[in-house]
Amino acid sequence: MNRQNDVLIRCHGVTKQYRKGNNLVTPLESLDLDVPRGDFLALMGPSGSGKTTLLNLLSGIDQPTSGSIEMDGVKVHALNRRELAAWRAHHVGYIFQLYHLVPVLTAFENVELPLLLDDMPRRERQERVEAALSLVGLSDRMHHFPRELSGGQEQRVAIARALVADPPLLVADEPTGDLDRQAADAILGLLHELANGQGKTIVMVTHDPKAAEAAARLLHLEKGRLLEAVS
Amino acid sequence: MMKLLPFSYAVRNLYRDRTRLLQTLGGGALVVFLVMGAYALNDGMRETLRASGSPDNIILLGAGSEESMQRSEVSEQAAGIAEAGVAGVYARLGTRAVSPEIIHMAQLRMPGGVEARGLVRGVTPRALLVHDDVAVLQGDVPGPGEVMVGRLAWKRFGVPPADLVPGARIGFDDAELTVAGIFTAPGTVLESEIWMDINDLRTLAQRDTVSAVVLRLDGGEPEDVELFTRQRLDLELSAIGEKEYYDKLASFYAPVRTMTWITAALIAAAAVFGGLNTLYAAFAARVRETATLQAIGFRPAAVFFSFMQESLMTSLLGALIGAIAAVVLLADRIVYLSAGTFRLSFGPETLFAGMAAGILLGVIGSIPPSIRCLKPSLPQALRD
Ligand SMILES: Nc1ncnc2c1ncn2[C@@H]1O[C@H](COP(=O)(O)OP(=O)(O)OP(=O)(O)O)[C@@H](O)[C@H]1O
Ligand SMILES: [Mg+2]
Repeated sequence: MNRQNDVLIRCHGVTKQYRKGNNLVTPLESLDLDVPRGDFLALMGPSGSGKTTLLNLLSGIDQPTSGSIEMDGVKVHALNRRELAAWRAHHVGYIFQLYHLVPVLTAFENVELPLLLDDMPRRERQERVEAALSLVGLSDRMHHFPRELSGGQEQRVAIARALVADPPLLVADEPTGDLDRQAADAILGLLHELANGQGKTIVMVTHDPKAAEAAARLLHLEKGRLLEAVS
Repeated sequence: MMKLLPFSYAVRNLYRDRTRLLQTLGGGALVVFLVMGAYALNDGMRETLRASGSPDNIILLGAGSEESMQRSEVSEQAAGIAEAGVAGVYARLGTRAVSPEIIHMAQLRMPGGVEARGLVRGVTPRALLVHDDVAVLQGDVPGPGEVMVGRLAWKRFGVPPADLVPGARIGFDDAELTVAGIFTAPGTVLESEIWMDINDLRTLAQRDTVSAVVLRLDGGEPEDVELFTRQRLDLELSAIGEKEYYDKLASFYAPVRTMTWITAALIAAAAVFGGLNTLYAAFAARVRETATLQAIGFRPAAVFFSFMQESLMTSLLGALIGAIAAVVLLADRIVYLSAGTFRLSFGPETLFAGMAAGILLGVIGSIPPSIRCLKPSLPQALRD
């Protein structure tokens, strides 16, 4: 079954509020959003508009104050912390602006981490880590530590780590924000390939218009509300 | 079952910051070293004082000076009167075990010219009848102008052992005394004393009394001696069991032991506080990284467990270093207090107490920094 238009994520009336001292901050308000399976969605908006907040909600790192988020039929907003952690392990890969690799682990070991959450034989783990690293073009850097890699390479390791457990959803928060043009283009090409070739659903926050171009769809977030750009 | 982080993560985190590793290892080692030192001192004191009294011996002291032989004054005639007046005293070859003794803290000139203070005991040959722990190793009981040195006296007086052998000469005020013998008295306070002729010491110490009369009973009861002191009130004597005397001495040293513990605890607390500080800093630097691990799907408890492994390894290693240092540097060391000389003894319990303290502190000490590291919410931890 490969319905291009079936919906992976369904957000309805999502509101997120934070208490900052005595003030109530509302980065997201009554937000509705459907993300079709296989979509490559770019999210733009001024600083503080709630982009990271939205990614955190979609990826189950945070939970909405009100509203519902459903993914593949799972009511993500209703999961408790522990269920959420288990759910993240199988459904989401997170890619950060600053890669967030574990410095004391090699590229291989970093990518292996998500697989340790499953009862997977060592052999199979190894095969999948190698496949993921080869997909991002780093087969020859498997046993290097993050400090021995360039920023672009680190981000590719992070992408391998995000996709090694084969989650349907990848979220990326300014994945090219810290890279030069060339490295950034390589990462964008890779994400494009993951969406189109591997059928991953990607939601990417970016400030970079060129990055936005690589995506299939562009949304603007403005003061907690979504505006769809005409593409 | 909860999925754990790889063990290598804990191991490599150990080396992440060498300074921190050295600091925590050093702190842990110091704590263990101190705990073992204090424990061994207490043990040594207790052991030595316990071994120092014989249950058959009764000491006659001047009434009012029951807790200190050094301060006690007993008439010269007391020994002779007691010998005749107390029944059931041990005797060998017709000589009864009644030993008048002078205990005196003296300043002596050692062979190398070293001046040192230590306990000198004025005795008669009968001393050997009452102190049955004492065995003459070399030479003989001191006659006039002679001394017999305890096997460990050299340590007490701060000279090499070769300086205190038969033939060596020791200065005491204007007098020159010759070492005539060496004695041993394993595990007791006597071993670091110097024994000399009681008449010599009476002259040198300028006194006309002795410090105590020690009797060894054989068939007699302590009550008999007690009765004797009451019959001869004119002698102003007080009878106390030798065991009791040393037990009292041990309790007299209780404040010293408490001080040792307090000192050890204070230094240990400082070490723990310092270690806690470095751990706070070290774990705080991993907030984002551990948040990433949680974002991947690891539970906070898995991160906590890894931190625990890490600090358990550190404290185990630190404890081992501390324990080895304590054994190498302190074992069989002699500690001098006015009551006598104590040997630091390291039994399995000491080792256990030290290691347990080190590991416990390491593990418990790592809990607050771990909690602090895991406290921020995930979105919060990931953003900065
Ligand atoms: N944990 C929090 N506690 C309080 N306020 C928060 C918290 N997280 C986010 N906010 C607030 O919510 C608003 C949206 O933040 P968010 O990080 O989502 O913005 P953003 O669009 O990602 O900005 P940027 O482009 O700078 O990354 C901001 O005003 C921010 O200060
Ligand atoms: Mg952001």
